[in-house]
Amino acid sequence: MSEYAIELSGVGKTYPFFSLDNIDLKVPEGEIMGLIGPNGAGKSTTIRILMGLVHQDRGEVRVLGHSMPQGQVAAKWDIGFASEDMRPYEAMTLGWHMQFFRSVYANWDERYAQLLVKRFGLRTEQKIKGFSHGQRVKATLLLMLARRPKLLVLDEPTTGLDPVARHEILRELTAVMTEEGRSVLFSSHNTQDVEQISDTITFIDRGRIIDSMDKETYLDRWRRLRLEVPSGVTLPALPGIIGVRQDGRLAIATANAFQPDLANAYESTGARVHAIETMTLEEIFVANVEHSREEVEA
Amino acid sequence: MNPVTRELILKDLRLHKSHLLFTIAAEFLALAGVMLKTETAVVVGTSCFFIALVFAGCLLAGSNILNERKKQTLPFVMSLPVSPVQYSLAKLIATVGMFLALWLPLVAGALWMIEGKGMFPHGIIPAALIILTMPLLGFTIVMSANLVGETEGWNMASVLICNSSYGLAWYFILKVPAFTNYWGGSVAVWNSTAVSVLGGEFALIVLTLVLTFYVQSRKRDFI
Repeated sequence: MSEYAIELSGVGKTYPFFSLDNIDLKVPEGEIMGLIGPNGAGKSTTIRILMGLVHQDRGEVRVLGHSMPQGQVAAKWDIGFASEDMRPYEAMTLGWHMQFFRSVYANWDERYAQLLVKRFGLRTEQKIKGFSHGQRVKATLLLMLARRPKLLVLDEPTTGLDPVARHEILRELTAVMTEEGRSVLFSSHNTQDVEQISDTITFIDRGRIIDSMDKETYLDRWRRLRLEVPSGVTLPALPGIIGVRQDGRLAIATANAFQPDLANAYESTGARVHAIETMTLEEIFVANVEHSREEVEA
Repeated sequence: MNPVTRELILKDLRLHKSHLLFTIAAEFLALAGVMLKTETAVVVGTSCFFIALVFAGCLLAGSNILNERKKQTLPFVMSLPVSPVQYSLAKLIATVGMFLALWLPLVAGALWMIEGKGMFPHGIIPAALIILTMPLLGFTIVMSANLVGETEGWNMASVLICNSSYGLAWYFILKVPAFTNYWGGSVAVWNSTAVSVLGGEFALIVLTLVLTFYVQSRKRDFI
């Protein structure tokens, strides 16, 4: 068996007004990967391809060692998939859904399911149509988690949830992750959620993966330098600086490969470094997307 | 059959249990009306029987197939270990099966009234079977349009075309001497016209189902 839960190599899909280009993505077993991208970036298409629901035009997809889409039935026995646009049957109760899943999955964990019912504050005898959005998301996650999958694929599961519901769901996902060997791919445009639970983070924009590395490396490498630029001084183009915004004597330089030498390099030109600031994941995400778009348009 | 496919079929039956029972009850009420034997009761009862069947058929195709997309339960079902082909097979079997549960009592009831109760002459059997098979053909077309077309537009177009075609088909049957010459007789006459039309209906049903399954199995984007 492969050491990767998910492997996408050179995957492409072309639609009339959108295309996924050359997607390479690897999620090692036991790792939580956050897939961050703006709306329409290609997160859901990527996830549908790796679930076998959309066939790629180019490239290879392997999930839990199975080639997709051909091996989707075998792969899906061990995948828990939940997406923002997924709804259980509204006319039926949560208990009916649990019974249905129990009839499909021999490894359904009823004790854990009942624990989640309590923890999420759900009622098995209530019909889904009576659930709030948050309760419905929790019910869907319950159905996915209680089958004890090796891989969880979550497509924007926290979209539209209030902070308390989001916290409960993220807490449960973090708890699930303590089980050895379980992998997660978690897509969202909410960087806070992804930052909270992910080991590695991949940025996707306009159908292309623009960056992928572990969370700590992102936070270590990205910095914002606040500079004062006296008249007559021109800021040089330095390696590791991906953008400079200057307004009169003040400038902000964004580094995606920060080294302390960068500040010295600016100082040596006559500029003054007022501050070196760390960046939040959201700021890194926005800067990364803007830089990628400028590169494409250049 | 794949066990998950079987569970999907059973799931659809459970979801539509009350819908099926209600329609079967409506059909029996209509049948009871026909049994009153007065001309008005026979016409009203038969019409009610057909309305219940056609209405139930349209609802079934819409609620069991199209609603799965509209109400976003399709991604939920497709998270199960099932391929799009297995899902389509389960939908075809479940939906056709449920419609047959409504259609077969109609055929059995009609034949019972002719054969068992002697309410109509035996000569009417070929024309009756041809007319009774029309809702099954119409349902098959509507169901396939829903499965393949995946949109409300396809559903509406197929329902309108099929339902408005029944009257036209009845009109032609009432004009064909190969039927009209024999339906007052005491013996069912299976001449070449009757066999061809009935055979054509069933051939169309099978062809529609096979084509639907073929198109579904060739789809590259299922959601």
